[in-house]
Amino acid sequence: MYAATPLAAAAGVRTNMRRGGVQTIAPHTLLLERSPAKETEALRRVAIALLQFSPNVIEGEEESILIEVSTSLRLFGGLRRLRSRIRATARTMGFSADIGCARTAQAAWLHARAGGGASLKIERFARRLDRLSVALLPSARPIEEWLDNLGCRTLGQLRRLPRAGLQRRCGKAINEALDCALGEAPEVFDWLEAPPTFSARVELPDRIEHAEATLAYGQGLIAQLVGWLVSHHLAVTRLHFVLEHERGREAIPPTTIDIALAEPTWSDGHLVRLLRERLARTEIAAHMIAVRLEVGDVQPLAPPSETLFPEPGGTPEDHARVMEVLAARLGAENILRPEPVPDYRPEVANTWVPAVGKPTKSVPLPQMPRPTWLLDKPIALLMRDHRPYYGSPLRIVSPPERLESGWWDGELQTRDYYVAQGSDHSFYWIYQERLVSRDGDETRWYLHGLFG
Amino acid sequence: MLTVEPEAIHPSLWRAAQLARGSSRTLPPGDSSLAAELPGGGWPLGSLFEMLVQQPGIGELSLLRPALLRTPNRPIALIAPPHTPQVHAFSNWGIATERLMWIQAQRTADVLWATEQLLRAGTCSAVLLWQQHVRNDALRRLNLAAQSGEAFFCLVRPLACARDASPAPLRIAVAPADGGVELTFVKRRGPQRDTPLFVPISPSPILIHRHAVPVDLPTPATPVPRSLPAELVH
Repeated sequence: MYAATPLAAAAGVRTNMRRGGVQTIAPHTLLLERSPAKETEALRRVAIALLQFSPNVIEGEEESILIEVSTSLRLFGGLRRLRSRIRATARTMGFSADIGCARTAQAAWLHARAGGGASLKIERFARRLDRLSVALLPSARPIEEWLDNLGCRTLGQLRRLPRAGLQRRCGKAINEALDCALGEAPEVFDWLEAPPTFSARVELPDRIEHAEATLAYGQGLIAQLVGWLVSHHLAVTRLHFVLEHERGREAIPPTTIDIALAEPTWSDGHLVRLLRERLARTEIAAHMIAVRLEVGDVQPLAPPSETLFPEPGGTPEDHARVMEVLAARLGAENILRPEPVPDYRPEVANTWVPAVGKPTKSVPLPQMPRPTWLLDKPIALLMRDHRPYYGSPLRIVSPPERLESGWWDGELQTRDYYVAQGSDHSFYWIYQERLVSRDGDETRWYLHGLFG
Repeated sequence: MLTVEPEAIHPSLWRAAQLARGSSRTLPPGDSSLAAELPGGGWPLGSLFEMLVQQPGIGELSLLRPALLRTPNRPIALIAPPHTPQVHAFSNWGIATERLMWIQAQRTADVLWATEQLLRAGTCSAVLLWQQHVRNDALRRLNLAAQSGEAFFCLVRPLACARDASPAPLRIAVAPADGGVELTFVKRRGPQRDTPLFVPISPSPILIHRHAVPVDLPTPATPVPRSLPAELVH
């Protein structure tokens, strides 16, 4: 037994138990085989995600990650904030972390193995070190029993043993580790290099039916992506979130969610919001077994220059981000911006197009008197006493505006537009079809706009 | 006898006979008689303002036109309007067309969500929302979201909603009148006013002068090269 959930621990399961022992104490315990390959992979994923906090990250011994943060402290607002951000990143990826901080990597590692803590001065760490158990030091573990027989149980007692004798009997490893921890010997690391391309995949623990439930795994992948982007000084503009389906009788192609961004980004908050809205709209065909995140397009990172007096209302980039979130939930076809067309017909001239990407700079329109609202379909008006009638008899209060246009695309319009006023003083934009009257029919009146 | 003026103690205090003037964040309404009747001397910024109309198209937007013109040069969001907004009308009023944004959604929940997102982001200078039935808790949410920013937020609702309670500090019913609109103050921070207030609207919707019929109208937009259909170009 290597690790147990709190529920299993409550049932009496302890570490270092045998399989038979666990099954005797708590027969309903679900036992999972330890998979070293998956552990290595998970550790590598977390290490890549942590690259967003420092360029110097390396996987240490025994499921640990060493980060050199001396150059990052000011950027992230101090050690305390940096620690809580690192902890939050690990939690987003589904892991819990014990974080130790110290002047040297070996000291920080010992802190983390002892359950977390910080000692920012070597002297303070030396006092702390003296109280730690010898079993924490990997090089002392093979001779732990021998040391125990000597009465040497803490690292402080180990340090008081004669140095030369210890080296002769147990090799150099123990002395070297202690020297490194106390900053008396140099530590050299070959820091982790992020892979040149990014493609991360995570298997789901169970088959999942709802796309939204994969968000938690997506967040972990995005955290990893952010680490990768920051280490390569890149910003992403297009992402593919791939949902892999269970292979049933026939293979089902994976569902791909394309996330395109108007503004290149390298922060996780916005990406997670977009992914949440897109997943909420996604219908999936079959159970999912794994999710994958792939990068489409990237750009070199260009951090915005901050203004001394920030604009109220945010930057255009802020606005573009809100628009993206709205488009992710409502659909891009429901976020519209005007794109006036040079045409006399009001329906054609008043064109709205999906507001994708940056707004184009529009030219000032000629002064055209028009009502604020245009009805999608003109309403045929009743006639009473030879007057158009809409709620009340309409009185025409303006001269006609004659439009005759559209002969080239089969949508010929021959209309005389008037402004009419009802008995309650509200105004209407109405028109009279002219071609109908030529056939001897009664002239037809339509309501086409309202003056808001 | 109270000798201390309440407004001297705190700007949020006022007598029942006075108008509240605590909020300094207002937009001038473009009409002096209306400004004298509004708390703070204008339309409120960063708070929910409810406009109650019998039907759309009675001059409710024309009433807001001077205020919209004075908003900072940031987008104006039209959310779930009753009909298609006509760009040329706004352009004719002097509002740059690239500021306009039309958001529509099928479900009320989506409409309210989009409004809240825009208000919380605070990137729009004005948010105009049209809704028939909004629950009171949703209104409260929107009011809170509006208070987090500086945007001008107007909710246009049917007149029948005047009877329902609302967290909006300012509620005004708009009715058409000859040459303008008549405003009834349903709720405001100040004394009750029973008689409607007449506000003239300019420019009048009677767009073209009776005796000056334009013979040659300009095209509704400047043609861009190669944007015309091939049939027209010989």
